[in-house]
Amino acid sequence: MIHFDAPAAAHLLRRLQFGVTPAEVDRAVRDGLHATLERLFTPQPESAEFLASQAALKDAAVATASIQDLKAWWLHRMAGTANPVTEKMTLFWHNHFATSAVKVQSVPMMVEQNDLFRNLGAGSFRQLLTAMARDPAMLVWLDGNANRKRHPNENFAREVMELFALGLGNYTEHDIQEAARAFSGWHLRDGRFWFNDSQHDDTAKTVFGKTGRYDGQAIIDLCLDHPACPKFLAFKLLRTFVTTEPSGPQVERIAGLFVKHDLAFAPVLREVCSSDEFYAAEVRGSIIKSPVELILGTLRPLCERIRWPAVRDLAAQLGQDVFAPPSVKGWDGGRQWVHATAWIQRWNFLSDVTGSDRYGHFRSEVREQIQQHPREWVTALFAVPLADTMHTAISALAPDERLPFALSLPEYQLM
Amino acid sequence: MSTNRREFLKLLGTAGVVSLAGPVPALWSQAIGAETKAPGERVLVLIQLAGGNDGLNTVVPINDDSYYKARPGIAIGKGAALKLNDAVGLHPSMTGFRDLWDTNRLAIVQGVGYPKPDRSHFRSMDIWHAAHFSERIPNGWIGRLLDQTVSSSSTAWEAACIGLDKLPLACLGERVVPPTIQRLEEFRLTHSGRDVAVVSSPAWKQVAASASGSGELDFLRRSATAAVTSAERLASLSQEYRSTAAYPSTALAQRLKLVAQMITADLPARVYFVSLDGFDTHAQQLPGHAVLLSELSSAIAAFFADLDEKNHGNRVMLATFSEFGRRLAENGSLGTDHGAASVQFVVTPPGKGGMYGTAPSLTDLDDGDPKFTTDFRRVYATLLERWLQRPSEPILGEVFAPLDFA
Repeated sequence: MIHFDAPAAAHLLRRLQFGVTPAEVDRAVRDGLHATLERLFTPQPESAEFLASQAALKDAAVATASIQDLKAWWLHRMAGTANPVTEKMTLFWHNHFATSAVKVQSVPMMVEQNDLFRNLGAGSFRQLLTAMARDPAMLVWLDGNANRKRHPNENFAREVMELFALGLGNYTEHDIQEAARAFSGWHLRDGRFWFNDSQHDDTAKTVFGKTGRYDGQAIIDLCLDHPACPKFLAFKLLRTFVTTEPSGPQVERIAGLFVKHDLAFAPVLREVCSSDEFYAAEVRGSIIKSPVELILGTLRPLCERIRWPAVRDLAAQLGQDVFAPPSVKGWDGGRQWVHATAWIQRWNFLSDVTGSDRYGHFRSEVREQIQQHPREWVTALFAVPLADTMHTAISALAPDERLPFALSLPEYQLM
Repeated sequence: MSTNRREFLKLLGTAGVVSLAGPVPALWSQAIGAETKAPGERVLVLIQLAGGNDGLNTVVPINDDSYYKARPGIAIGKGAALKLNDAVGLHPSMTGFRDLWDTNRLAIVQGVGYPKPDRSHFRSMDIWHAAHFSERIPNGWIGRLLDQTVSSSSTAWEAACIGLDKLPLACLGERVVPPTIQRLEEFRLTHSGRDVAVVSSPAWKQVAASASGSGELDFLRRSATAAVTSAERLASLSQEYRSTAAYPSTALAQRLKLVAQMITADLPARVYFVSLDGFDTHAQQLPGHAVLLSELSSAIAAFFADLDEKNHGNRVMLATFSEFGRRLAENGSLGTDHGAASVQFVVTPPGKGGMYGTAPSLTDLDDGDPKFTTDFRRVYATLLERWLQRPSEPILGEVFAPLDFA
């Protein structure tokens, strides 16, 4: 039985949206776990103001072919949407099918792929993987046009198995070579997927021990039906939404949920969020915040009039340049986020949040609320309890120094 | 003790108040009071060539017909290569390395690899970093080296990763978190109107480091404390480092210049880790590969010219590595695909240069790739045992015979 008190509600919200306010914690506790999940996983109407501003930003980015503006659009969208779970899943899939604009060099293609994650990401992985294999940005990213009948290119076939559907150890080099032939002729023409019959090798291939005159879709179906697929998805879901180091039995259980829901993502995530295990003490605060989590999770509750270009540049500096992941493997995350330079920059950001208007204006009402209701704010902002020594040290400080001090603690980097 | 060193210790006086409870928290905090530690210790610089360097076009088998037959479009001509001996020549853009060869400082280890080569970038790089073949690899060989020195009675060793945007697995240990430093200017704590940065205040240090924790929080505490100490220490390095050596404007050269600055200032790191990316040359490889090898060779030549001038050259050894070499045969796009065995370069003090290991046969191949003749862990064992004078077996898990370049 889950005791859905304020810390539990704050934990749930931290994992399913970007940052938490005490008011949101209050509401979730009042509504209870079931109603809160129902609300988070049901499409909510967006405000007219949000719709107008996000459309303006997106149109401008596309019109000027500015990938930098597109990055600002997405970050603004993550922070401002009434449907944060959708954006969390979109970011999850962007990291999973990590595609970089640095190579794709097309704002419309990056938009199309991003919208695809947004529209299909909650549903069946079957549909999503099938669509990704024909996605223009992906075709550019993994050299679709270079995969020709007499010169197969293994890039996409390798990553489908290694990074998208199965994970290392579940296929052989030979499987990749054969699958590459099945994807030959899956080309791009005039910015669209094009099956180039003349470059497709339609002879027999042997993949996972089965033989047939497979085309690309047949390979995708073989991967989707492979027993490693639900386990791989379970591992990735757990790592992002539950805990950095999932245990074997945990992976098995969640893989079972993926089988039960025929690889549909949101239903599994929702079931995970209503399990006892999700609220266990060792799960709370077990994930190191990504730069996007840290930045948006800090600015959304504390600041207004946010300066999106500065936010975008900071996210990139901290190592999470959206639309430009470092490789097809995406961001490693976890402990890799907080090397020494990143610490310095994370602290400098937190120092700027309270001491400058570089990234936005600190909300004056929040300043008052924090002084009046410090405990509620600690519950909202911190995923792990602060030691008594910390409370003592914080109370000894001048009121204006308390928040900067607390945000600089290692505890604040956890979610 | 050098003037620089003294300045540091003076500066570090304030950092000395950090009380570090629990199991030895972090490197970079140790040397605060380490006035007894003499400068002039041996240093190892590792340069990762990320993407899989084409060893055959780097150290070219100029008298092997199989090489020229397999690479009609991209082979380096016998006349163009910088001839080292009857069998091999360096890529023509590597004049800096040829000079190091001529002064007997460039060691070339041929045919380096490992059994059952993995052709995934990520997996193979993990294997090189970890020197380990298990599925989940929690730490790296340098990390284990640092852990080992923490456990021993002597001063704990430190490492620094320069120009990387994440901590490489190689440097990840159980007890230590080396700093990654991209550029000095990004490594400065801002104050936002305060006298000192929050994390430099004694109250913060006391609280942030003292409480106990486990898992991610424990890691964060250790790495946070290490980062503050590093920032305070590096604050004293000037933005303008003077050197008469002609460092090129390339990214690698600028990173090595920072390494030289840290070495000559007697900062306590014993291992520096640097990376150069872009070696995944699947298509149109000739122009891009030439630029990379030129960047590598000229940066390293300038680095050693600088160190020599300041009398630190003899205490620095530099080794390159890459996750794999490339196929013998070129592909259909004038490039090369992922392969297996490749070459490793080591810059040694004068006298130890030369060819080591055995060049792999180009007719007896493993699925199109040259077979390895020297296990890369023998190179690591050499660096550990002979250069850094640390036992290698606890780090590598078994005994590997060292080579003679150190």
